[in-house]
Amino acid sequence: MWPTRWPIHVCAVHRPGRWPGPLKRGLALVGVLAVAALAAPWVAGDPLRIDLTATLQGPSAGHWFGTDALGRDLGSRVLHGGRISLAIGLLASTLSLAIGVPLGALAGFRGGWTDSAISRLIETLACLPTLLLAIALLAMAPAFLNGIPDVVRVALVVAFSGWIPVARYMRGEFLRLKKAVMIDAARASGATDLRIVVRHLLPASLAPVLVTASFAAAAAILVEAALSFLGLGIRPSQPTWGRLLSDAREQIDQGWWLAVLPGLALYAAVLGFNLIGEGVRALLDPRTRGA
Amino acid sequence: MLRRVATRLATGALTLVLVTALVFALIQLAPGSPLGATEDGLKPLTADERAALTRLWRLDLPLHRQYVLWLGDVLDGDLGRSILDRRPVATKIAERLPITLTLNAIALFLIVALSIPIGAAAALNPGSRADRWGGVATYLLYAVPVFWGALLLQRLFSVWLGWLPLYGSGGVEGIPRPSHLVLPVVCLSYGGLAYVSRFVRANLLESIPAETVLSARARGMSRLAILYRHGFRLAAVPMLTLAGFLIPALFAGSVIVESVFQLPGLGWLFLEAAYERDFPVLLGITLISGTATLAGILFADVAYALADPRVRRA
Repeated sequence: MWPTRWPIHVCAVHRPGRWPGPLKRGLALVGVLAVAALAAPWVAGDPLRIDLTATLQGPSAGHWFGTDALGRDLGSRVLHGGRISLAIGLLASTLSLAIGVPLGALAGFRGGWTDSAISRLIETLACLPTLLLAIALLAMAPAFLNGIPDVVRVALVVAFSGWIPVARYMRGEFLRLKKAVMIDAARASGATDLRIVVRHLLPASLAPVLVTASFAAAAAILVEAALSFLGLGIRPSQPTWGRLLSDAREQIDQGWWLAVLPGLALYAAVLGFNLIGEGVRALLDPRTRGA
Repeated sequence: MLRRVATRLATGALTLVLVTALVFALIQLAPGSPLGATEDGLKPLTADERAALTRLWRLDLPLHRQYVLWLGDVLDGDLGRSILDRRPVATKIAERLPITLTLNAIALFLIVALSIPIGAAAALNPGSRADRWGGVATYLLYAVPVFWGALLLQRLFSVWLGWLPLYGSGGVEGIPRPSHLVLPVVCLSYGGLAYVSRFVRANLLESIPAETVLSARARGMSRLAILYRHGFRLAAVPMLTLAGFLIPALFAGSVIVESVFQLPGLGWLFLEAAYERDFPVLLGITLISGTATLAGILFADVAYALADPRVRRA
C-alpha cells in the first residue's frame, strides 16, 4: 500500500504555455474512465444478470471483457464498479480538503499552541497506516454510521486520515507565505487577520492544494479497492473493482480476464489521478518550467 | 543530544497514549457489547458467567477508568484477553509475530540492498535514455496495487508456470518454507523498491553540486568514483529518515499480502480481529504497530542528528 502517503515524482520538464505531459495523460485516463462509468447504465448491460449458459467465457464481441463464474458480463461489472470507485475518490478527496484545508491553515497561520495541538493530532493519526485505520474504523462502525449509504460511509472512513497530507501541505504553505512581503504590506494597510487569510493566503495556496486533492483521490480509490478486496466496506452484492479482484482470487486458475481486466481499470484510475497531481505540480513549480 | 532523545521519547509516548485513547474511544461507539459477541450463536450466558466476563473486560466501569486500568496493564506487559477465545492478547500476538517479522525483514533487506545500486545507476547519467525509461518503469511499478500485483504473480508463477506454490505456508507451523515466501516477499517489496530507488537517485543528484562534479571530472575521476566519494556520504543522511516511513507502509502491506497468501501473521490476525470485532486484539495490534512506527521515527531522528552536526546543534 505504498502510494497512499507519499507519491514519487516523474521528472517532468515542460515548456511554458503547454500542458505538462503527465497532466495530459492523467486527464485522458481519468476522462475515459469517467465517461465510461457515467455512461454505464446506458451502454452496458445489467451487471447483476446471471446467465448460467454462458459462464467463464473469454472476451468476445458479445462480452468485451468476458463473463464471470455466474455468467455475468464482466465489462458491465467493471463499468458499474467504476461508478463506485470514482464517487468514493471524489467524495473522499472533497472531505479531505474540507477537513485538511481549515486545520492546516489554522495551524500554519496561528502558530503557537494551536499549531502544537493540530500537529500533535496529525502525528497521532499518522502513526497508523491509512488502511489499518480504515479497517479498524469499519470494524467498529459506530451505530450512527449504519443508516448512511455504503459509499458515503467508506468515503468518511477514508477521509478520517486522508486529510492529513492536505493539512500538512497547507500548514507548510501558510508558514511560508505569511512571511511574504505582500502580507506585511496588507497588514500595514490595516487588513484584519481574516482578510489576510481569505484574500491573500488562501488564493495563493489553493492551487498547490489541488495537487494534494488529486493524490488524495488516487489514495481513496486504492484504499476502497483494498477494503472491498478484503471483504469490508461496500456491500458484497455491489460490483466494485476490489470485489471483482477478490472474486478473481477465488478462481485464480480460471480465465485470465477475471484478474487482469478489473485490475487494469483500477490501475488506470490510480495512475490517472496520480498523473494529474503530478502534472499540476509541474505546472506550478517554477523549477520544472522551461529548460 | 540526550535532551533531544528525551524530548522525542516523551512526545512519542504521548502520541501512543493519544492513539490508544482514540481507538479506545472509537470502540465504545461500536454497536453491541462484547457479551453479545460471545453469546452470538452459542448458548446464552448464565448470570455468573455474565458477571465474570463483565469483570474481565471491566464493562461495569466508566470509560476513562477502563482506559487508565488498561494502560496500567500494558505497562505490566498485559494486553488483556481476546473476546473470541479469551486467550491473552499478548500470547496471540507473540504467536503471529515471527511470520510477519520474517516477511518484513527480508523485504526491508531487499529494498535497501537493491534500491541503492539501482538508484546510483540511474544517477550516473541523469537524463540519459536509460535513466528516463527507468524512471517511467519505476513510476508504473510503484502505482500497481499490491493485491492486483499479487494476483498477477500467482497467476503467472503458480497457475501458469507452476514454479511456486499458490499460497499457504507449506504444511509447517510457524515460519513458512522458503518457496512459500518468495511471492509474498516480492509483493511486499516492489513498491518500496520503486520508491526508495527514486529517492536514492534524487538524493545523490541533489547532494553533489554541479561544480564538484565538473572539477572532479576535470581531475580525471570517473562518474562512479564521484558518486562514491562525494555522493554516498551525503546522501546517506536523508536516507536514514526513510526508516520512519518504511515501517507503517510495510505493515499495511503485510495485512494484504498475508491475506492473499494465507500466511497466519500479525496482519492476518488484525483482519480476523476486525471481522470478528475482537476489540482487545485490535487495540493490542494498534499499540504494537504504533510503537514500531514511532520507534522508527525516533531512530531516524537520532541517527539524523548523529550524522549531521548542523541538526544536532539546532
